[in-house]
Amino acid sequence: MKPSPFTYRRATSVADAIVLLAVAPDETAAIAGGQSLGPLLNLRMTTAGTLIDLAAISELRESRDLGDAVFIGAGVTHAEIEDGKVPDPSHGFMRRAAAKIAYRAIRCHGTIGGSVAMADPAADWPCILLALNATARIAGPQGERRLAMDDLLVAAYETNLAAGEIILGFEIPKLDDTARAASSKINRKTGAFADSLAVAVRQGARSRVTLGAASIRARILPQTSAALAQGESLEALRPLVASDVAALLAAPDPYLQNLHATNVMRTLAEVLGA
Amino acid sequence: MLEAGPELDAFRQSPYPALANGKVRYVGQAIAACVAPTRAQAEDLAEQVGVDCSELPAVVDAVQAMAPDSARLFDTWPDNAFIIRTIGAGDQEAMKQAPVRLRRQFRMNRQATVSLETRGCVAYWDQRLDELLVYLSTQGGHVMRLGLAQALGLPENQIRVIAPDVGGGFGGKNRLLPEEIAVCAIALKRNHPVRWIEDRREHLLASVHCRDHHYDLTISAERDGTIIGIEGDVHIDAGAYALWPTGSFMEASMAAGNLPGPYRVRGLNVNTWTVATNKAPMGPYRGVARPGACFAIERLVDELALHLGMEPYDLRKLNLVSRAEMPYTTVSGMKLDTGDYHDALDTAARMIDRPAIRKQQRERRPGELRIGVGFAIYTEQSGHGVVEWSKRKSRVVPGYEAANVRMLPDGSVNVHVGTQNHGQGHETSFAQIAAHELGIDPALVKIRYGDTATTPFGFGTFASRSIVFAGGAVATTSRKLAQKIKAIGAHLLQADPSSVEIRDGHVVAGSASVPFRDIARAANIRQELLPVGMEPTLEASGTYEPGDSAGVFSYGTHAVVVSVDEDSGVVKILDYAVAEDCGTMINPMIVDGQVQGGIAQGIGTGLFEEIPFNADGQPLATTFADYIMPCATEVPTVRIAHSVTPALVTEYGVKGVGEGGAIAPPAALANAVADAFRDCKASFNETPLTPRRVWEAAQRARREAGALT
Amino acid sequence: MTKIRMTLNGAPVVREVEDRTSLADFLREECGLTATHLGCEHGACGACSVDVDGLLTRACLKFAVQCDGRTVTTLEGLNQDRVTEALRDAFHRAHALQCGFCTPGMLVTARDLLLRNPQPSEAEIRDALAGNICRCTGYAGIVHAIALAADELIRHPRSL
Ligand SMILES: Cc1cc2nc3c(=O)[nH]c(=O)nc-3n(C[C@H](O)[C@H](O)[C@H](O)COP(=O)(O)OP(=O)(O)OC[C@H]3O[C@@H](n4cnc5c(N)ncnc54)[C@H](O)[C@@H]3O)c2cc1C
Ligand code: FES
Ligand code: FES
Repeated sequence: MKPSPFTYRRATSVADAIVLLAVAPDETAAIAGGQSLGPLLNLRMTTAGTLIDLAAISELRESRDLGDAVFIGAGVTHAEIEDGKVPDPSHGFMRRAAAKIAYRAIRCHGTIGGSVAMADPAADWPCILLALNATARIAGPQGERRLAMDDLLVAAYETNLAAGEIILGFEIPKLDDTARAASSKINRKTGAFADSLAVAVRQGARSRVTLGAASIRARILPQTSAALAQGESLEALRPLVASDVAALLAAPDPYLQNLHATNVMRTLAEVLGA
Repeated sequence: MLEAGPELDAFRQSPYPALANGKVRYVGQAIAACVAPTRAQAEDLAEQVGVDCSELPAVVDAVQAMAPDSARLFDTWPDNAFIIRTIGAGDQEAMKQAPVRLRRQFRMNRQATVSLETRGCVAYWDQRLDELLVYLSTQGGHVMRLGLAQALGLPENQIRVIAPDVGGGFGGKNRLLPEEIAVCAIALKRNHPVRWIEDRREHLLASVHCRDHHYDLTISAERDGTIIGIEGDVHIDAGAYALWPTGSFMEASMAAGNLPGPYRVRGLNVNTWTVATNKAPMGPYRGVARPGACFAIERLVDELALHLGMEPYDLRKLNLVSRAEMPYTTVSGMKLDTGDYHDALDTAARMIDRPAIRKQQRERRPGELRIGVGFAIYTEQSGHGVVEWSKRKSRVVPGYEAANVRMLPDGSVNVHVGTQNHGQGHETSFAQIAAHELGIDPALVKIRYGDTATTPFGFGTFASRSIVFAGGAVATTSRKLAQKIKAIGAHLLQADPSSVEIRDGHVVAGSASVPFRDIARAANIRQELLPVGMEPTLEASGTYEPGDSAGVFSYGTHAVVVSVDEDSGVVKILDYAVAEDCGTMINPMIVDGQVQGGIAQGIGTGLFEEIPFNADGQPLATTFADYIMPCATEVPTVRIAHSVTPALVTEYGVKGVGEGGAIAPPAALANAVADAFRDCKASFNETPLTPRRVWEAAQRARREAGALT
Repeated sequence: MTKIRMTLNGAPVVREVEDRTSLADFLREECGLTATHLGCEHGACGACSVDVDGLLTRACLKFAVQCDGRTVTTLEGLNQDRVTEALRDAFHRAHALQCGFCTPGMLVTARDLLLRNPQPSEAEIRDALAGNICRCTGYAGIVHAIALAADELIRHPRSL
C-alpha cells in the first residue's frame, strides 16, 4: 500500500500555488492536510505526477471577522475549529460539529478546505457549510471568484472547481442571536464517516436543513427548509421530511428512507426545542 | 504442492499453488510476485503486470454451491463439497415424535482475523550455515518449518524459522500461506534477503478468512421446555482452497459437535457440507466453529423459550447439565469434565440484575430506546491431545508440548518452549510456574520461544492449549530439575537427600542451607563438588501430555444488556457481565485480559465485522473504511466473576482460556436484541447485527404480527 | 529524491528521501525507529501515531517531505517525557497490552490527551482512543491505565 511516484512541491503563497498548479493541471494535485488524499494515494486509488502542498501558505490559514460574517481560511484544521482558535459565526455549533469529525489525529491535520474540495458525500463540512449558507472564495489563473456552497458541490468527489483553482476559504454568515443550529450524525462507530448526516439551522426566513450521505452530495431539503422558515411545528414537518428524503434516494429503500428521515427529525426536534 | 486437510479419502484435495496457475479461484489470489528494492517499487512493477484471464461463473453462496447446476471450482470434483458428513447420535425417533418442533435459519457471516500486525516474512539463504533463515510472523515456527521443508524440498535441518515478537495471530497465523512459500522460494534464487509484509488490503482480501457458517436447524422439545434434540443442515463456506496443514475441515465437525452446547440433548442429526466457493480460503479464528455453534444453539434456546412463553433463563435452567451429572458425555460424544454450569448462569444473571432490566422494560415509554438482556453459555474445549486430534484425522497431531529448563552457573534460569507467545503472556505465566516448582523468584526465570534453532519441537499456540500443554511441560520439567538441585544441595550439606527441602532459592536441611547459586556453580563449572557419578549441568528436558487427552472444558455465561434504537437499528452495549470457570488460574490478570480481549472480538463478530461479496465474487470490504473494527468507544469494560473448579487431569487443574471470550458474544448480543423486541417476536439470526439487519428484522416481525391480528 | 531536514527526537536529521516516502516508512526504514507501527496505512488504526510540531499525527498519512523543517517526536523520543513515563508505568500495572503492536500508538495518543485534558473522564478517554485499534486487549486495561496515569500525574506533579 504505497503510492505511485510523484514530485512534491511546497507552495509559499496562493499566487505561487496557482502558478505551480497551472504547469500541468491534469497531473497535479493540491494537498492540504493529506487526510483524504493520503489514503487514496497509498491505496493507488488516485495518482498525481506532482503534489503541490498548500500547508505552508499563510493566507490560507487566516480567519477574520467580517462584521456580518466570518471568513475561515481553507487551511484551517478541524482541530483549530474544535478548539475555538478561529472566530465562530455559529454560537459554538461549528466547534461541536468539528469535534465529531474522524479522530483527533485526523482533525489536527485535515482542513475545512480539503474536506469541501474532496466532496465526499458523507463528509461533515460540505453538509454543515451548506446549511450555514456559506460562500466559497476561490482563486485560479483567471483571478478570484465566489461560489455559494450549493453551486460548488456537484456530485460524489466532484465540485465546480476548475483544474488549477484552489479554495481560499469560506465566508460564513453569522447566525442571529435567536438562531439555533444542530446536527445529528449516525455512523457505524465513533469517528467513522456518516451513514446519515442531518444539519438544521433555524433562523426565521433564513432557515435551512441539509442532508449528507443520502445521495451523491450534501443537499438542501427544500420543502423542509421552507416549512421550518415559516415556523411550522415538528409534526407538520414530518411528511415534508419524508418527501424530501424520498426525492434524494437513488432508489426506494425503506431502511434508508426511515434512517434519514429519523435523523432529520432529530435535528429538527433539537432546533425547535421540542 | 502440499496436500492439506485431514488425512481422509473423503476429503477432496484442492492443490493450492503458491502462485496461481491455470485457474484463479478468488479475488486476491496471488498470481505473480514482483521483487524490487522497496515495496513501493515492487508495487510499480505489479501495476505493469497484465493478466490474460477469461471469466468463469462465480460461486459465492455455500448453499447454492451445492445445487446440481452450480458452477464448479474443481473440474475433477463431482460437486463443490470438500467433504459431506452426517453427525447423528442419540434418540432419532424421539425428535421426530416431539410435541414441539421449531425450525430456524442462522447465518454467521464471513470476516477476517485482523491481527493488528499483518502477516510478514523475511527469508534469506545463509551462505555460511548453508541454511534458509526465515523470519516469520507465525503462531508456530516448528510446524511452519515442516510445511516449508515439504514445499521447498529442503531437509528440515536446513531451515531455521524465527518468530520474534508476533503482533497477534488469533488463528490467522497458524496456517502456511502461499506468499510465505513464494518468498522463501524466491530467496533460494537470490543472494539477498527477500521480504514481504502484508498490507491491510492484502490481509482483508487474501489472508485467512473465517466464520461463514449457515445453519438450518430444527430444535425439538417437550411442551414444558425440555429439549429433545437438534436436526438439520450446516453449510460451511470454506473458500477456494484448504490451507496447510488441516484445512477448514474441523469447522463443520466442531460446529455440529458443539450444537448440543452445555445442555442435556438426547438426539442429534446434522448433515454438514464443507463447501468450496470463490472466496479466500477459510482458516481458524479464535473460537473455531464454536461461535457459530453457540450462536445457533443459544438463539434456538431463546426462540424456543419465546415460542413456549417461558423466560429464556428458566428454559436454560431446565436443560443445563448439572454438577452432579459431571463428567457428562454429550450426545455428540464430548466429555464435559468438571464444573457447575448452573452456578455460572445464576452468577451472571445476578451480576446483570435481570429483575431490574425487566422492570426497566415494563416502564419504558414510547419513543425511548428499547432495552434487552441476553444470555449465552459456552464451553471451551482445551488441552485436547492425541485422542481428539487423531480422531479428527489431523495431518499434524498436536498431542504434547516440550520444555527445556536450564539453570546457569549464576543460578538464573532459561526455559525454552515450543509454543509461541503472541500476546498471551507466556513470559509471565510460564515463569511463575517454573519459579513455583524451583522455589525461586520469577524474576530469575527467562522464557524463550520463537526460534526453531534453540527451542524444543512444539506445535505453537492455538486452540487454548498453551497453558495446559506448555505450562504442564514447564511444570513437570522444572520439577525434574528441582530433584537434581535437591540431590546436589543435600550432598553439599552432607544431608540425607530425602530430608532436604527447597525454600526460597535454597536447599535446606534443618538449620543448614545452601543457596542455588552454589549448587548451580557446582553443577556447571565445579564438578568436583558433585556427588560421585552424577552428571554435570543443571538441565532438564521433557514433554507433557495431560492424563486424559479428550480435553478439559472451560465454560461460562455471558450476560449483556443492550439498547436498540428502533428507528436507526443501532445497537449499543450498556452492560456486559461474565461468570466463567477456567479451572485453576495461574495469573488472574492474564485470564481477565484473555476474557475481555476475546469478548471484544466477539463483539466485532456480533455487531461490526463482515466481508460481504457481490454476485461476481468481489469482496466489498477491503479497507477499514468498510470493514468496521470495534474500538474503545464500542467495547465496554466487562465485569468478570470467576469460579474455580480445577481440572482433574492437568497440572494444577488448569484449563485453557484463550478462546472462550470470543465464543459467546454474538449469541448473547443477538439474544439481547431479540429480548428488546419480545413484544413483536422479532428474530435476529444473522451476524453482524448491522443497523440495517436489526431494523429490517424488526419491521418484518411487525408486519407479520400485524398480518396476524 | 529530496533533501529534508528535521528535528527528530530532539536531534537534527538530514536525509535524502523519495518524495512518495511516508513519514512512517521514513522513520522505520531510513531511521531505524521501529516503535512507529503500521497497522493499516490508511489512517484508521492509530498504530503509527507520532507527534509533529506538537500535533498528534498519523505517520502513514504524512509524507516525509512534508515534514521538512518540522519537529518530529516518536515514542523513542519520549523516554524522558514525564507523561509518557507515567503512562508506561500504568500500562504495565493495568495489563494494558498483550501483543504490544498497538501500544506505541496508544501511548502517543494517550499522551496527547493528557496534555490537553489532564483529568479526563472515562468517556473522554474512550473518545480519544476511538481511532486506535487494539485487537488483543478489549481496551479495558488501556482505558484503566490512562486513568491511573492521569491520577498519578495529578497527585505527583513534577516540581519545577
Ligand atoms: C480514518 C478517517 C476518518 C475520517 N472521518 C471523517 C468524517 O467522519 N467526516 C469527515 O468529514 N471527514 C472524515 N475524514 C476526512 C478528513 O476530514 C479529511 O481531513 C478531509 O476530508 C480532507 O481534508 P485535508 O485537508 O486532509 O485534504 P487533503 O487530503 O489534503 O485533500 C483532499 C482533496 O482536496 C483538495 N484540496 C485540499 N485543499 C484544497 C484547497 N484549498 N483548494 C482546492 N482543493 C483542495 C486536494 O487536492 C484533494 O483532492 C476522515 C479521514 C480519515 C483518514
Ligand atoms: S497505520 Fe497509520 S493509522 Fe493505521
Ligand atoms: S495489544 Fe495487540 S493490538 Fe493491542
